[in-house]
Amino acid sequence: MSAVLGVLILGPLASASLAMIVRHHRTLRDGVTVSSMAASTALSGWVLFDVERAGTSRLVIGGWTPELGIELVADLFAALVLVAAMGTILLVQLYAIGERGSKWGSDAAVTAPVMLVLSAGTALTLLTGDLFTLFVGFELILVASYVLLTHRGQAGQVRSGMTYLVMNLLSSTFFLFGVAFVYRSTGTINYELLSQRIPELDMATRAGIGLWFLVVFGTKAAVFPLFSWLPDSYPTAPTNITAIFAGLLTKIGAYTLIRFHTTMAMEDLGPAILTVAGFTMLIGVAGALAQNDVKRILSFHIVSQIGYMLMGLGLFTVAGIAGAIFFLVHQIPTKTVLFLVGGLIERSTGTSALGSISGLIHRQPLIALLFAIPALSLAGVPPFSGFVGKLALVDAGVAASSIPIVAIAVGGSLLTLLSMSKIWIGVFWGEANERASLGDPPAMMRLSTLVTVASTLLIAALAGPIFTLSQRAAEQLLIR
Amino acid sequence: MFRSQSPATRPLVDPVVVPGVQAATQMATVAAAYLLFAGHNQPGGGFAAGLMVGAILVLRSLIGRPPPIDGIAIAGLGCLIATVTAIVPIALGSDPLDQTVVSTNLPVLGTIKSGSALILDVGVVLVVAGLVVAVIDGLAPSDGPDE
Repeated sequence: MSAVLGVLILGPLASASLAMIVRHHRTLRDGVTVSSMAASTALSGWVLFDVERAGTSRLVIGGWTPELGIELVADLFAALVLVAAMGTILLVQLYAIGERGSKWGSDAAVTAPVMLVLSAGTALTLLTGDLFTLFVGFELILVASYVLLTHRGQAGQVRSGMTYLVMNLLSSTFFLFGVAFVYRSTGTINYELLSQRIPELDMATRAGIGLWFLVVFGTKAAVFPLFSWLPDSYPTAPTNITAIFAGLLTKIGAYTLIRFHTTMAMEDLGPAILTVAGFTMLIGVAGALAQNDVKRILSFHIVSQIGYMLMGLGLFTVAGIAGAIFFLVHQIPTKTVLFLVGGLIERSTGTSALGSISGLIHRQPLIALLFAIPALSLAGVPPFSGFVGKLALVDAGVAASSIPIVAIAVGGSLLTLLSMSKIWIGVFWGEANERASLGDPPAMMRLSTLVTVASTLLIAALAGPIFTLSQRAAEQLLIR
Repeated sequence: MFRSQSPATRPLVDPVVVPGVQAATQMATVAAAYLLFAGHNQPGGGFAAGLMVGAILVLRSLIGRPPPIDGIAIAGLGCLIATVTAIVPIALGSDPLDQTVVSTNLPVLGTIKSGSALILDVGVVLVVAGLVVAVIDGLAPSDGPDE
């Protein structure tokens, strides 16, 4: 039943249209939005189940052959990331329903339909079987994210939105050039045909294509040195939007990097990718240590964590890619939930600046707990899911005798722990001050954050099966 | 939700412009309909027809008669029609976005060949026209923030 793949893309678009029509009717709009997202989550779960059982599933659009037309392909890698992405979008939408009405909330009449467009774009990007449809998927996500970032029209949001827009337009233009290069040298843009034709090209052309797309997808994934747009643009938006951006958008960049470079057999670029990975880990975490605002610290951590996914890719072994896939799947909810907790802190104290909050643990022990679990997971402390991912990556690095990158990865984890303790000491410890007195955040916000934390714990509990799936996904990508 | 008649949008009274725009409205409507139907295998199509409709609406706004509709909702309706056209083939057991072509003989017009893609094009017309209305609304002087 590959038709589900089409529904995953067209369903959210149809719901977005409906939500646009009823956008001023609160109950109808929220009903349409949440039920569509819940359906997408359930369907992607079904896709994962189906792909795991019956193998890669394909759907041809409009009856054209794959050489000419558009093909949707769901392999294990796509299905795994799809489940994490759709589930996270649903939880963040529930959080947004709780958050609105406050001055930090987003305008739901705008964001609810646009979030559904983002969900359709995400599904298209993950499921596409050719480069040009990938471009369309990216643009769908980007157009939605421009709106989400700037819809409140505050000066800071529009200013950072400009940086975001310029960076992404530039990388989209490069993307189009890259598609042209690939088509000129191979005569196709379909992934499957490319995986046969690219290895036949001469070394220089292959390396050129590989490096070109490393820059294109690297900008989207915010790798060193192309990350500077991220920490400035993300923290200015309302929490639910920042959380989705942080949890999802850069990870989709990393997803396409992994897919492109493994499908095209770019093993020769391994050392280059590992170098970029090392710098990304270190610069990201060093940037985080220098910040004094919860949201900005977390934004720099997004950059740092992308380095770990690149590390797995750069090793070009099944173990390495499997580690990267597991890490990517764990990062989507973990990173999102940290921003959601950042939003809870902001909602109960009125600020997210470390200097003006203290002793929140006395008034809001639940928020402290909700922060501690994903923070420890991000730093890679057992028994949380981050530990499993990092252990797999370090193990793969040792097996491939890439000791420098392993040393950087372990050092980076320690620094991550350090900057998480900085938030912990700044926000939660100490004397309770009068700022921590805006009262409890709405129950819906706390509940959806709680469920997201529970889902990260679920990833840790199911680490075994998920890692086995990641390994099989990596084998599908590498062994042809 | 919609703008009330503030001074800036009071209907214009002019012996040349107003009848001119009214005449243009009728001609452009016919032209838009032509573009929509021609789009199947000639230059034209939903996007061009939508722009033509949008141009009429801009002209009418200039003489102080903006369309009394919610542009975003119209665009949403168009998008809904288009996506449903794409989904329906899945329900019928075919590929998404697949289309059926029908041709019939009509008096005067001769053989007409059209297909389910026409429905998608109607959706596109509504999206483009709706967005134009939304832009007109956005540029017009407002009495206060929406919502």
